[in-house]
Amino acid sequence: MTQSGFTNQRDSSTIETAAFDLSIPVSIFATGWGAAINRIQRFDVVTTDLSAESPKTISLQLRRPAVKTFSYTFPELPEWQTERSGKGGLATKKPRPKINKDERRTRLKPPTDIVKLEDRLYYMLQPPLETILSSDSMRMPFEPFPYQYQGIAFLYPRFAAILADEMGLGKTMQAITSMRLLLRAGELRNILLICPKPLVSNWKNEFTMWAPEIPLCIIEGDQTRRQWQWHHQAAPLKIANYELLMRDRDIVLDSGLNFDLVVLDEAQRIKNRSSTTSQITRAISRSRSWALTGTPVENSSEDLVGIFEFLSPGYLQSGMTARRMAKAAGDYILRRTKDKVLTDLPPKLYRDAELDLTPDQWCSYKSAEEDGVIKLEGLGEELTIQHVFELVLRLKQICNFDPATGASSKLERLEADLEEVVASGRKAIVFSQWVGVLDKIRDRLSRFGILEYHGKIPHKKREGVIKQFKEDPSKHVILMSYGAGSVGLNLQFCRYVFLFDRWWNPAVEDQAINRAHRIGAAGSVTVNRMLTLGTIEERINQVLEEKRALFDAILSQTDTPRSLGLTQDEVFGLFDLKSRRVDQRRAA
Amino acid sequence: MSASGSKSVPSIGFLTVQEFTDIGLIGGYLILNAVGRPLEFHCTAPVHPNRAQEILYGPTLAPFLYGEQIGQTLVAKGKSRPMFVCTDVEPVLSAREFVSVPIVLINESAAEPNDSLRLHSAHSTPPTPKSKQLVTFQLASQQAAINEAHAHDRDKVVEQWQPHTEAMDLLEPFSRLREAIDEAQRGAART
Repeated sequence: MTQSGFTNQRDSSTIETAAFDLSIPVSIFATGWGAAINRIQRFDVVTTDLSAESPKTISLQLRRPAVKTFSYTFPELPEWQTERSGKGGLATKKPRPKINKDERRTRLKPPTDIVKLEDRLYYMLQPPLETILSSDSMRMPFEPFPYQYQGIAFLYPRFAAILADEMGLGKTMQAITSMRLLLRAGELRNILLICPKPLVSNWKNEFTMWAPEIPLCIIEGDQTRRQWQWHHQAAPLKIANYELLMRDRDIVLDSGLNFDLVVLDEAQRIKNRSSTTSQITRAISRSRSWALTGTPVENSSEDLVGIFEFLSPGYLQSGMTARRMAKAAGDYILRRTKDKVLTDLPPKLYRDAELDLTPDQWCSYKSAEEDGVIKLEGLGEELTIQHVFELVLRLKQICNFDPATGASSKLERLEADLEEVVASGRKAIVFSQWVGVLDKIRDRLSRFGILEYHGKIPHKKREGVIKQFKEDPSKHVILMSYGAGSVGLNLQFCRYVFLFDRWWNPAVEDQAINRAHRIGAAGSVTVNRMLTLGTIEERINQVLEEKRALFDAILSQTDTPRSLGLTQDEVFGLFDLKSRRVDQRRAA
Repeated sequence: MSASGSKSVPSIGFLTVQEFTDIGLIGGYLILNAVGRPLEFHCTAPVHPNRAQEILYGPTLAPFLYGEQIGQTLVAKGKSRPMFVCTDVEPVLSAREFVSVPIVLINESAAEPNDSLRLHSAHSTPPTPKSKQLVTFQLASQQAAINEAHAHDRDKVVEQWQPHTEAMDLLEPFSRLREAIDEAQRGAART
């Protein structure tokens, strides 16, 4: 390379040049790369396994599993149960009372002897009775008491039941309403109600009040007529009396009659299992059996066994202890007393009139007793309880009236008391065991406006007597025998009850008293129990008080002696006699 | 006796779910006519959520069990088609997603008419997200609520119930229903 272009700055006039050989000697040598570059490339593949184990998974089944169900479809509803109120419903004359969600609700509960689930649900799922009975077609003339709703709820589902409420609590109304509900629900179509003859008209009246739409047929008249009535299908309810049942036994038992329900009023009538009445009622073909009685145990626990033979034969047996019997029968019996459920019922005031006999009476009494006892003792081995009874009755009659003079300390007292009763405008009932005694009272006290209701008054006239007593302001006193007037009558307008003499059984006395002391009583009821001191009446009264205590005991489910009756020994004991014969019959 | 042929009778359904310790949930469904007489009763066997359901459903477990599983099943079992179905358990409302009949929560406690945030059910069922979506209204004398998603049911329910408002207390049948569920459960336990 030549350095021709460079200039010396210090000597601008002379330019010197110099040539330099810049060529660099180059020698070529063979590297061998060219061949390598031209050579085809070769790759080696190395395989490495990078795969890993797949993760484990858990699958959860979240699909909706089928839920098992139980279903129950209720029987087809009768038309009345589908009625509607207001717009689109049945025409109603009165507005339906509004349901108050705070009001008391009484529900049907199946008894323990219903075990099938469907049957139990049938009752459990029914609406409260208050709802049912507030429907237009079931309107009640009076609002029932809460305990009465409970009574209806008790009867409704039961095929065997005893409604044993104390007299005056409305057993009739509860039974009628239960029958009404069952009839309207289609569960009953054919009912037979059996009651004592004097109460037939009372039942008729009660049905008119509480279930006016139910056609009923009262079995009465001659045999041809009764034959037709027994088989009369139009009326779902037949009412017969116990006495008539005996006469129509063949028709009732052997002509193919069958009842959905048989109701026995005053069911203590069948307590004696060997009686014809008991045998006939037990033989009636039926599905349901109800017994109504205020005194399921009158004398002994055997009474209850007798009633159960109608309800459920063999369920209760003789010889069971009272405690065991009470436990077994518990689900079949409903008993309420006034002091428990009617706290607002006017009080019942006892005013025992303990009287001395008049001198004439006392003379007759002592003579009769001494002679009688001597006579009894003289009978020796021939002495029977009937002989003792005769003396008892003789002495009791003297306690009422002296047979020779007609003197009576009881009548004197009664007359004085009735003066006061009549003066105050009140009404009174006078009970006696004997119609003859009532006749004497009538004759002596006729100025008080007296009516009579006893065995000598024809049945057809009895209803009129009660009506007159209730409505006629001039009639202040009604004379009644225990037999005719102690059951089924509603005389709650009476404020005074006189027991001129005492009955053998306190339950019968209670029934008599409760003609006046019952629902609807306008005020307190004063009960005058007349008792002559130092006589057989006083001794009997002691036994009655003991029986009353025992009656309360058995129904409160405590152990009691097997017999509550006036035993043979007790009757003999009235005169300090010893029984010399084994007579199994009880006195009462 | 023949089965109920009362499909033409106006009816109302009542659906509740009861929780039993150890065995789980039992649903009951009672169909009544307009005066309170029973037409049908259905109840489920005990339903018990498994652990997976408890975890995965989280807060939606109650609506799933009460509504989708129990409520839907029971309503489908009914032969009668009620005007609407009442419940006293809030999660049952979710069954409305699966059935065509309105479902109404009935509650006795007073609630502000516009308080659409919360209604407590008669039972202590834990509140669910649904409870924030309720529309409350007055149905006769009772407080009622429906899911907001089905708010259109309200007018229909009120209109249909109007002729019957004084015939029945809509809370009362739940006491019957619960007793019947108890009875069915006792019966199942005996067998």
